[in-house]
Amino acid sequence: MIELRAVSKTVMSGGDPLVILHPLDLIVPAGQTIAIVGPSGSGKSTLLGLMAGLDEPTTGDIIVDGTEITAMSEDAVARLRGEKIGFVFQFFHLMPSLTALENVMVPIELRGGRDAAERGRALLGEVGLTGRAHHYPSQLSGGEQQRVALARALANDPPILLADEPTGNLDTENGRHVIDLLFAVHDRRDTTLVLVTHDVELAERADVRLHLRDGRIARREEAGRSVAVTG
Amino acid sequence: MLFICRMTLRELRAVWRRLLFFFLCVAIGVGAIAALRSVIQNVRSAIAREARTLTAGDLVLQSNQPLEAGLRDRVVRVLDAADVRGRAESIETATMVRPADPAKAMARMVELEGVDAAYPLYGTVTLAEGHRYTHRLVHGWGALVRPELLVQLGVSVGERIVIGRGTFEIRGLLLSEPGRRLGGFSFGPRVLIDRADLLEIDLLRFGSRARYVTRLRVPDASLARLETQLRDLLRPALVSVRSYRSTEDRIGDRLETSENYLSLVGFVMVVLGGVGVWSVTRVFVRQKLKSVAVLKCLGAASGQILAVYITQVALLAVIGSACGLAMAAIAVPFVPPSAVPDLESIRLGLTWSAALQAGGVGVLTSLLFALVPLLEVRRVKPLLLLRDEAARLSLAVQRPRPMGAGLASPGIARRLANRLQRIDTTQAVVASLVIAALVGLAAWQAGSLRVGAAVSLGFVGVTLTLSAAASLLVRLVQPLASSTWFPLRHAVLAVSRPGNQTRVILLAVGLGTFFILGVRLVEANLLRELAIELQSDAPDMFLIDVQEDQVSPVEAFARKWRLDGGIQLMPVLRARVVGIRGRRLNAGSPEEVRERGGPSREYTVTYRDHLASNERVVAGELWPAQQGSIPDVSIEQNLREDGLELGDLIRFDIAGRVIAARVTSVREVDWSDARNGGFMFVFRPGALAGAPHWYLGVLRAPAHTLARARFQRDLVAAFPNVSAVDVREVLRTLQAIVSNITLAISVVGGLALASGLLILIGAVAMTKFQRLYEAAILKTVGASGRTVATMLAIEYVTLGALAATVGASGACLLSWFVTEQVFDLSWQLLPGLVAGTIVVVAFGVGAVGVAASVDVLRRRPLGVLRAE
Ligand SMILES: Nc1ncnc2c1ncn2[C@@H]1O[C@H](COP(=O)(O)OP(=O)(O)O)[C@@H](O)[C@H]1O
Ligand SMILES: [Mg+2]
Repeated sequence: MIELRAVSKTVMSGGDPLVILHPLDLIVPAGQTIAIVGPSGSGKSTLLGLMAGLDEPTTGDIIVDGTEITAMSEDAVARLRGEKIGFVFQFFHLMPSLTALENVMVPIELRGGRDAAERGRALLGEVGLTGRAHHYPSQLSGGEQQRVALARALANDPPILLADEPTGNLDTENGRHVIDLLFAVHDRRDTTLVLVTHDVELAERADVRLHLRDGRIARREEAGRSVAVTG
Repeated sequence: MLFICRMTLRELRAVWRRLLFFFLCVAIGVGAIAALRSVIQNVRSAIAREARTLTAGDLVLQSNQPLEAGLRDRVVRVLDAADVRGRAESIETATMVRPADPAKAMARMVELEGVDAAYPLYGTVTLAEGHRYTHRLVHGWGALVRPELLVQLGVSVGERIVIGRGTFEIRGLLLSEPGRRLGGFSFGPRVLIDRADLLEIDLLRFGSRARYVTRLRVPDASLARLETQLRDLLRPALVSVRSYRSTEDRIGDRLETSENYLSLVGFVMVVLGGVGVWSVTRVFVRQKLKSVAVLKCLGAASGQILAVYITQVALLAVIGSACGLAMAAIAVPFVPPSAVPDLESIRLGLTWSAALQAGGVGVLTSLLFALVPLLEVRRVKPLLLLRDEAARLSLAVQRPRPMGAGLASPGIARRLANRLQRIDTTQAVVASLVIAALVGLAAWQAGSLRVGAAVSLGFVGVTLTLSAAASLLVRLVQPLASSTWFPLRHAVLAVSRPGNQTRVILLAVGLGTFFILGVRLVEANLLRELAIELQSDAPDMFLIDVQEDQVSPVEAFARKWRLDGGIQLMPVLRARVVGIRGRRLNAGSPEEVRERGGPSREYTVTYRDHLASNERVVAGELWPAQQGSIPDVSIEQNLREDGLELGDLIRFDIAGRVIAARVTSVREVDWSDARNGGFMFVFRPGALAGAPHWYLGVLRAPAHTLARARFQRDLVAAFPNVSAVDVREVLRTLQAIVSNITLAISVVGGLALASGLLILIGAVAMTKFQRLYEAAILKTVGASGRTVATMLAIEYVTLGALAATVGASGACLLSWFVTEQVFDLSWQLLPGLVAGTIVVVAFGVGAVGVAASVDVLRRRPLGVLRAE
């Protein structure tokens, strides 16, 4: 479960404060899938980054699985992330100097897991990349890289999966493949899944759709029910 | 063009901070070159201005004996026929001086000069309190002395001093006089008296070390002709003939050599800076791939983009060089006067030629080093943008690794073929040209192609060794990659992964360590050798010019004083090698001996039938039972380096008589034990019978200052012609000279250290930008700041230790070569210094690496990832 209380984000841009996210409240119950949609620049990535503790909110509290991450040290957040949150980037962000397998092994190793290689290989198998374990990211296609990134995000079997436009850089076919994988994982492990996407079809598959506009939640759709949100 | 300028300025705004370090290195090197060259050029121009004052004549004839009457007449005839406008004769000798007042128990060795009324032909004699010099001051038993002599002897102006058998009145204080030698060694302070008086005080007995000098005033027009004429006439008599011009040339040549060698040190610093420029450019280009791709998308040609970056480098190099010149301009006037020769007209300041040369070297080296990595810009494809991966291009050369095999070699031939395939021909051609240009620059700075090539070769050698060491390291640490400790495992992966910074750091740090430690080791070795200490029982005083009839009186004198170990008196003669017929060297005249590197100075020789206690025969026999028709001579083994060998036939000139002798033994002398003196040539007794000789006394004088002074004084009173060389005094003088040299060495070493530090910080800080991205990703997947920091520390410390070890090994070699081969001193490994340096460098690299990444560790990852 992820809970946001009056979370806002303001950055200094050229000397002036720029509000990227206006204060908002949000609860994502465990096991739910939620899609965040909205035009480019509306603050989707920022919101997702805040949920993962990749960035600090200007105001408000964020509670992940009962732990208030806004009150934690950076290292503690990092440890929590390793344990509970998988993150998939639009631009993959694999370590360019590590092979696919090594990339997947990193989070397991960080937690001191003994069977990193074995699990890593199993995860690569799960995303259909058994044969590419020893290739560097530069030798993989975008779709393949994103699948490696997904395997990495799943490495520690996290209860929460966050994906920022995971298909944004992929063609339809590869995109679908990645999405199927995401939802398969959700179904199998009952993970909480938060997706940022432009893909209407993808968004349709989620339990909840949040429409973001200019840093505010403009609308919330839940299984056919649409609620306009103000403030 | 406008585009290039605008882009250059825009880009510089963003990057100059990162590049600063390297251009600071360039600045230090440039500053060093400019300052060193300027100071030496200042000295040279002062010498050119004062050349006549320094030689005190247009033409100077100088010999160790008065000319024979016949020769003298012929010289006079030549001089009368030539356009000689003035002629001054003087005699210089080292001798003892004591106060006439018997209550003052002091005696000092001085450099006595007897001058005639024509002195000085050029320049002025400066006296204390503005008194003007005239010959009347010395005429009729007057003396002018240096102020320090007054203090040493406890006398004042107006009092009397005794020199030889004469008593002189001190009539003034000498501040400077024409014709004095610059720097170098002297036996004591100068005393000026009348030449006529000098001839009457019974000093110039047989064998005395004296210089007979004739100075001439000759118009420039007839100078060269007269010089040749006199040279031809006087050469056989071993009289040297020099004009002020040839003296200036000779000093000038020596100065030019030292200027070039010192500048080479500066050049090496610039090259270190250049290595920094090279590595930072490499990283810089990789970071700029996206911008380059965008520019290409927008229609910029490779050439234009290349021009943008080259302009940036040039601009920074110019700024760096200008900073260096500014530093030099500020520093040069503060060079301490004791560090430069005592010349009246010397003005310290940056010279134009030095500034231009140094600036040129700085800019050229920076450009040369930046060129090869910059060429990579040409290979950037705009296509890159569509994939949004800056890393893709730089890592495009990676291949899948075979499972679990680590870096096991896939066959050298195949790797070589792969490597060859990957070489970009243009880059290779440019690289070769750049290397050639660097050799050229080094040769220009050293003033010699050979030295330039040697220095470049040294660099290439260390570079190759470091590269090999890098590969070796990668293999050595490979087993650790299976460690379960995350930071170690990832540090190992970081060191061994392809396309990383391992080589760059190794190179920069290794070269820096190599050079700095090299200079430090040479310095330490020189200082150790120069820290001459007297052994507690070693003789500390030499008596010279003891005449045959004085031998028993001197021995009696020594007995009366109850000296420790008594006194050894050895018969000595002065000899010069005038011809050699040998296995390795053949020379028919003194000139040929000198030209062919033979032993050309004047030697003090002795004869005896036994080995001294500090000697050992290393070849031949002393003496062979069968005496041949030719006299036997034994040589010291160091003479082998001058080309002499067992069995060689040597012709000596001994007081005008030529004696041929065969080398029948080679001795090794333990120079640290001087009780029995040390002689390069020892003759078999008999050969020199009849040749005029004098005796050398070796003794240990009373240690107590007062007793010592009284001893010297009584000795001089009893034997006015005998000089006592106080080794303790000589050592003190030498130490003063040495401390000047030490200062120079330390300054150079300090500069090298500073530039090495900058390189280290720069090289390490630069890799931070590569680490940023990875650290952010690691943190995203759950790594704590401490884990990342530990990983970085292990990686950098390992790299630092390896680089320092390789660099230190090179430094040991370099310092050995310089100490033993160039300075001819014994070399010693200084394990403490070497090990200390390695540890400091290793942890320094680790500390700088982690410190430079502190903000990476603290910053939240999203910002970094967003920027990528
Ligand atoms: N560090 C920052 N400095 C200035 N502006 C920022 C910063 N981070 C994000 N923004 C701005 O905030 C807005 C929201 O960004 P983002 O969350 O990436 O949008 P989205 O992912 O919805 O496209 C954008 O206009 C972006 O330019
Ligand atoms: Mg976004």
